[in-house]
Amino acid sequence: MSHLSRRDLLRASGAGLLALAAGGTLTACGGSGPGGGQGGDADTGTVTVWSWATAAAALRAVVPAFEKDNPGIKVDVQDIGNPAIWDKITVGLAAGGQGLGDVLHIGCDYLPGYLEKFPGGLADLSGFGADAHKDKFAKGLWPVVTGKDGHAYALPWEVNPLGFFYRKDYFDRAGIDPTTLATWDDLTAIADRFKAANPGISLIGINKAANPDPDLDFVQSLMQLQGAFYFDLQGRITLGSEPDVRALTTLQHLDQAGLVADAPGSQGWATLMKAGKLAVAPMPAWAAHYLEAKFADQRGNWRLAKPPAVTPGGRRTALVNSTHLTVSASSPRRRAAWKFVEYALTRPASVNAMFNAGGVFPALLEAYADPMYAAPSAYYGGQSPLKTFAELATDGGDPTNYSGDYARALKLASDAQTKVFLKGGDPATVLQDAARQLAQQTGRTVA
Amino acid sequence: MTATAPPATPSAALTGKPAKEAVRAHRRARLRRTALPYLLLAPALITFGVFKAYPVVDSLLLSFSTGSGTATRAAGLANYRRLLDDPLFWTALRNTGEILVVQVPLMLGLALLMAVGINSVLVRWRAVWRLGVFMPAVTGLVATGVMFAFLLKRDDGAVNWLLDAAGLPTVDWLGEPFWARMSVVLVLTWHYTGYNAVIYLAGLQGIPRELYEAAMVDGAGPVRRFTAITVPALRPVLLFTVVLSTIGTLQLFDEPYVLTGGGPDNATLTVSMYLYQNGFRYFDFGYASAIAYALTLLVAVLGAVQMRLVGDKDR
Repeated sequence: MSHLSRRDLLRASGAGLLALAAGGTLTACGGSGPGGGQGGDADTGTVTVWSWATAAAALRAVVPAFEKDNPGIKVDVQDIGNPAIWDKITVGLAAGGQGLGDVLHIGCDYLPGYLEKFPGGLADLSGFGADAHKDKFAKGLWPVVTGKDGHAYALPWEVNPLGFFYRKDYFDRAGIDPTTLATWDDLTAIADRFKAANPGISLIGINKAANPDPDLDFVQSLMQLQGAFYFDLQGRITLGSEPDVRALTTLQHLDQAGLVADAPGSQGWATLMKAGKLAVAPMPAWAAHYLEAKFADQRGNWRLAKPPAVTPGGRRTALVNSTHLTVSASSPRRRAAWKFVEYALTRPASVNAMFNAGGVFPALLEAYADPMYAAPSAYYGGQSPLKTFAELATDGGDPTNYSGDYARALKLASDAQTKVFLKGGDPATVLQDAARQLAQQTGRTVA
Repeated sequence: MTATAPPATPSAALTGKPAKEAVRAHRRARLRRTALPYLLLAPALITFGVFKAYPVVDSLLLSFSTGSGTATRAAGLANYRRLLDDPLFWTALRNTGEILVVQVPLMLGLALLMAVGINSVLVRWRAVWRLGVFMPAVTGLVATGVMFAFLLKRDDGAVNWLLDAAGLPTVDWLGEPFWARMSVVLVLTWHYTGYNAVIYLAGLQGIPRELYEAAMVDGAGPVRRFTAITVPALRPVLLFTVVLSTIGTLQLFDEPYVLTGGGPDNATLTVSMYLYQNGFRYFDFGYASAIAYALTLLVAVLGAVQMRLVGDKDR
């Protein structure tokens, strides 16, 4: 039963990464050109782009037009894979930018952490004129790409507004029109009627034991609908704040009303969905294609509406996550890399070509004028889910600061949610405990 | 060394070169001879230094720093103070302790009985039984975790299906804190009992048959023979397995990582898992190093205590 080798391996790897980090300290201090770092501002050469899966395929769709319009620049899009890309970027940044791609595709949950933990690792794009594009994207995204110095370090590409997918047949059976429900508490109020008409059907499914992974997307969405999250924009902890407590309390009420099914394990939710046991999927834009592909036999039954608010009269839009393109500060051809980023993300033709190729819902508002956003879908009973998401993205949402301590906050919030489900914990108490623990572990102050 | 030193080279005397030159040549030759073993050992020493000694020392230094990425700074004893105030660390330690106290005696007791069983001349096809009990030990840890995660699923797992078929209540093996911990105990016991049984079997075969024959002549029954001969004779082997299992359990990682992810509500979080989370999920390497050293200290203390309590005092 000896695990000696594993512990030693962990130590070795830890020390190795830190040794790289120490090396990074020495090498990341130099600066030249608007991008900062020790790279260069060449505007020709081969630009290497790191992305993953369908997004990489989407980026490749824009390369031929870009290379034609920008002779002297070649683009090599590489599919690094997700989650492998995060380890590769982390190690590259820790090594002072050694071996990084010129353009990096980074999610909103990693971007603030990289900016915090590797200052000077990503190129300052304001120096290249990125700020001119500030108002072209869904409202609420610009603060996500802005560093503490007020400069932009990325351009938004993909945005995921929260949607309220519902099974029309189930609600029809109960004689309820979900679009008339203004708040999540309104859903709790109709629980008995809904359950009587649909025995064995729940509203949402959650892995209550959070085992083996956290299942916090729903509660996070409820926080984001109120413009709240685990941290505020200054990086202070808001995990135990009133909106956060309200979010978890709302979930608790739904559970007490018998509307939340337990979805154990990593496949629990998909199993419930496949069996048609869930009536609602509070999911963002990417789910429009996902539901259609994954649960094809439920064609015609699903509809999409704006999500209910958490409080009466409250906001009914939230941008639950987003991904971005950045330029590595160590790139010797930062200007060429920036040209590609700007070309790909600020032109409707480019983002829509990418949307067609990879299904990445664009953050560029001008893109939604394209007729494809109004096209009806048989899966959604002739409704156009893209139109709804375009409207939700145009409405925008409050910015979310994931900060560099998101992973730790997520774990503590997940533990708090599990305490509510398994032990009947009080949302305010468990979240405030979690907030204190988060402060103790990160040195951040509680707002 | 002087006894084996070669005489001054004849060439020195013949060429009339100064004696100093001869001494130098002699020293060089001696150095070459003494250095040769080190030279041959160098690849192993360098590998050990770079991949073992350096990380161990660097990790210690790291435990006195905070921050991550390119923003690390010295922090003195802050990580160790933080450890004392960290409820999750104490939860992990308590979980590890509970698993240790339940699982190690259970596993070693079963292993001993199993070893006595497959050592008995009354049992037929002993080789097949021996192979059978050792098989789980060669199964990969992650494969074991995945397999049990599948078997212990609440709604469509085989174990609950069997319980249901037998008319017994089903159990939320991985979703209920107590049963999640028991699931980890179950998996560990399945995986390592045979491994320990084989060690005991080797020990049993070293006990002289005459002792048992003499005891039987004196009228000792099977239980008396087991307690008066088998257990005392196996004492060094028992100590070996107890210390090894204790160290292994204190460093428990793979099984709960795959099976439960440390949940629910940290019921199966172990110290090694918490170390991993801090290092590779939160990139808080300084704190992870402090946890590693706290664990090292604990392993050393518990090992020493066990050696003292169970060890052979006559040696």
